[in-house]
Amino acid sequence: MRDLIFFGFIATLFGIGLKRPFLFVLAYVYIDTLSPQLMMYTALGSIPYSLIAAALALLGFIAADDKRDVRVAPRQIMLLMLLLYCWYTTINADFPVEAQFKWNWVWKAIAFGVFLPLTLRTRLRIEALLLFMLLSVGAIIIVGGIKTLASGGGYGALNLMVANNTGLFEGSIISAVAISVVPILLWFTRHGTIFPPDWRVKLFCYALVFACLLMPIGTSARTGLLCVALLGVLLLRDMRMKTRVLYLSAIAVVGLVAVPFLPSKFTQRMETIKTYQADASASTRIAVWKWTIDYVKSNPMGGGFEAYRQNHIRYDKVAVEGASNNATVERSLEVDRARAYHSAYFEMLGEQGYPGLALWLLIQLAGLARMEILRRRYAKATADDAWIAPLASALQHAHLIYLLGAAFVGIALNPFLFMLIGTQIGFDTYVGRKRSETGWQPMRRQRPQPATA
Amino acid sequence: MIDNFALAITHGLMLLAALRLWHRDDLDREPGPRDDAPPPRAQRWGRPRA
Repeated sequence: MRDLIFFGFIATLFGIGLKRPFLFVLAYVYIDTLSPQLMMYTALGSIPYSLIAAALALLGFIAADDKRDVRVAPRQIMLLMLLLYCWYTTINADFPVEAQFKWNWVWKAIAFGVFLPLTLRTRLRIEALLLFMLLSVGAIIIVGGIKTLASGGGYGALNLMVANNTGLFEGSIISAVAISVVPILLWFTRHGTIFPPDWRVKLFCYALVFACLLMPIGTSARTGLLCVALLGVLLLRDMRMKTRVLYLSAIAVVGLVAVPFLPSKFTQRMETIKTYQADASASTRIAVWKWTIDYVKSNPMGGGFEAYRQNHIRYDKVAVEGASNNATVERSLEVDRARAYHSAYFEMLGEQGYPGLALWLLIQLAGLARMEILRRRYAKATADDAWIAPLASALQHAHLIYLLGAAFVGIALNPFLFMLIGTQIGFDTYVGRKRSETGWQPMRRQRPQPATA
Repeated sequence: MIDNFALAITHGLMLLAALRLWHRDDLDREPGPRDDAPPPRAQRWGRPRA
C-alpha cells in the first residue's frame, strides 16, 4: 500500500512536470533527500526513480527552459574542478573497487550542484526548491521528533523508518542537518509565498523546529548539541537589541526547565564531551585524524575515496576516576584499524589530499562570503526585495551549522551539502540578474548601437 | 503509525505545493522591468540580448 502511494506521489510530480518542467528538479531533490525507494518493499521500489528524475530534469531544462542570460558562477567552475579532481583520485585510488562505489554517488551529488543553479531562474523556484528540501528532510525529522518524545531515543536506537545507516538516516548526520535547516524554516515563517505565512504555516514551522531540536537528543549525537549551540548564537545576529534580551531570557528559562526532562542517556553522553579521552569513539577520531595528517605527508594528492581503510591506529584511552585530589588515571591501549574519518575536513584531506581539501574549502568559504555580501547589500531593502537579506542569512547560517557538524561527521560530499551550495549559487545569480535588469537598464538604453556598415 | 503520520503530512504538503506551483506562472518567468509586454513563450537558443 505504501509503495503504491509513493509511486503515485512520484508519478504525480512527473505528471505536473510535463506542464512545469521544474517539478522534475523538485522530484529529484525529493528522491535524493528522502530515498523513498528504501522504504518500498515491492517491485515498485526497484524502479530507478532518481535516474529518471535526473534525466527528465535535464531534458526539461534543455527543451523547455528559458536560457536567456544564463549565468555561470565561479563556484560552479570550482565544483566542476572538484568533480574532475575526484575522478582523477578515483582512478588512482588506493582501493580502486571501494573508491568506485563512493564515486558512483559522489559524482551525481556534485554534478547536481553544478546543474541546479542553472534552473533557479525565479524567486518562486528558489522557494519551491527549499520547500521540497525541508519537507523531505522533515519527514525523517518528524518521525525522529515524535519517537524521541515517546521513548527518549538513544545513540543508534532511534528508528528513523529505514533500518540502514545510510544517507540522511544516520543519527549524527540527521541531527547536524536537522539543526542546519532551522534558519531556513524560520525564513518560511515570514517570507514564504507558496504557503503564505498564516497561523497554520507558523504552527507547522515552529513544530518542525522543535522536532529539529529534538533530533540531537533522540540520536544522542554530540555533534548535534554543538550545532544547537551555534544555531543559538547565529540567531542573535539578526535580532534587535530588545528581542535579544527576550530571546536570551527565554533560552535560559527553557534550558532550566528542559534539563530535568532530558533522557539520562542523553545527558550522560553529552557529559562525555568533557571527558573525550576516556571515550573510544572520540579518542579514535583523534587517532584517525593524526593518521590522516601523516598519510598525506607521503601522499599529498590523497588516497582516493575510502583511503581510510588502510589505517592502523593505536592510542591510549585515558580515563580519570575519582575527585581531583585523589584521582586515578587509567590508561588502556586500544588498537583499531580501518576507522572512518568522522570528519568532513579529514575525509577531504585523506581522500583528496591537499588540493582537494583546498578546493573544497574554497567552495565553502566562497559560499559563506557571497551570502554575507547579499545579506549586507540588501539589509535595508524593502517591499519586493525584503526577502533577499533574510534568505541570504538563512542559507549562510544553515551552511555554517552544517560545516560545524561536518567537523565530527564525514559529510564532505553529502548530496544535501551540494543542494545547499547549488541553492546559494542559484540565489546569488538570480539576485545578480535582477540587479542588472533594474540597475543597468537605463545605461544600456542610452548606449548607441555600434555602427555595422 | 508514527512513520505513516510523518510521511502523510510531508507528502501531503509537497503535493499541495506542487499543485499550487502548477498554477503559478511566476514559477517559470518573472516579469522584469524590461518587459513592457509579456514576451513570447518560445525562446530560441543563443538569441542575442536586446
